[in-house]
Amino acid sequence: MSNDIPSSVLRTTTFQCVRCGLTVTAFAPDGRRRNHCPRCLYSQHVRDQVEGGPSECRSGMSPIAIAVLRTGDWELIHNCTRCGELTSNPICGDDNQFILMRMAVRPLAQPPFPLETFGDL
Amino acid sequence: MPRRKPQQRRPQRRKDVLHGPGGERGDAFRCTNCRLDVPLTAPGTAHRNHCPHCLTSLHVDGRIPGDRRETCRGRMAAVGVTARRDGEWLLIHHCLACGKLSVNRIAGDDNALTLLRLAMRPLAAGPPFSAQLAL
Ligand SMILES: [Zn+2]
Ligand SMILES: [Zn+2]
Ligand SMILES: [Zn+2]
Ligand SMILES: [Zn+2]
Repeated sequence: MSNDIPSSVLRTTTFQCVRCGLTVTAFAPDGRRRNHCPRCLYSQHVRDQVEGGPSECRSGMSPIAIAVLRTGDWELIHNCTRCGELTSNPICGDDNQFILMRMAVRPLAQPPFPLETFGDL
Repeated sequence: MPRRKPQQRRPQRRKDVLHGPGGERGDAFRCTNCRLDVPLTAPGTAHRNHCPHCLTSLHVDGRIPGDRRETCRGRMAAVGVTARRDGEWLLIHHCLACGKLSVNRIAGDDNALTLLRLAMRPLAAGPPFSAQLAL
């Protein structure tokens, strides 16, 4: 990853990925705050979704699905590996595209019904 | 449903007992989205929690699936599909009232085309990056 943080973005906060150890800037190149590692897409359970405050859990959150907003934008669904908490967050421009694509096609590779039953959709 | 013969006057038992606040029967619920009357028993799951036709659910469960301790009762839209390690599909539901997310198993009689459309959605919307991956 590039170390050239645009001078307009003076926020140099970083966090370390709980999964792969990558040091990640808290703000993506597009200036958006990120909640997951761009390399392995894992997140960390640091916020309590119900209460709104910080969470004591702090376990890794694995990316499990992609949801599509009305706008057509992809959202990444995370699932806490310890407590099962679920979150939804926008993807970032520098997120690993291979993992994103793998998540998008994985259910289709093992459908619960034969795809041959469908003609042209 | 075709109507019964008019001369059959005997009242049907299933008609009169309405349990829940939404008027649903004890053994069925009405989908808040497509209004389908759905029997609670479903093939392949302990309890049904979403409509087999449109996959919409209702926010009635708290932290534990099936506990029905949630007072929100908002409509939960199916927003995504994930596959477990063993290949079984799970639905991601999102409450339109409070934003809560939940994961639910699919049922054996869930509409296959609706499921497939949902699973196709990310690809149909198009990846948010150039299809020409930087190799
Ligand atoms: Zn990582
Ligand atoms: Zn957790
Ligand atoms: Zn429905
Ligand atoms: Zn809700």
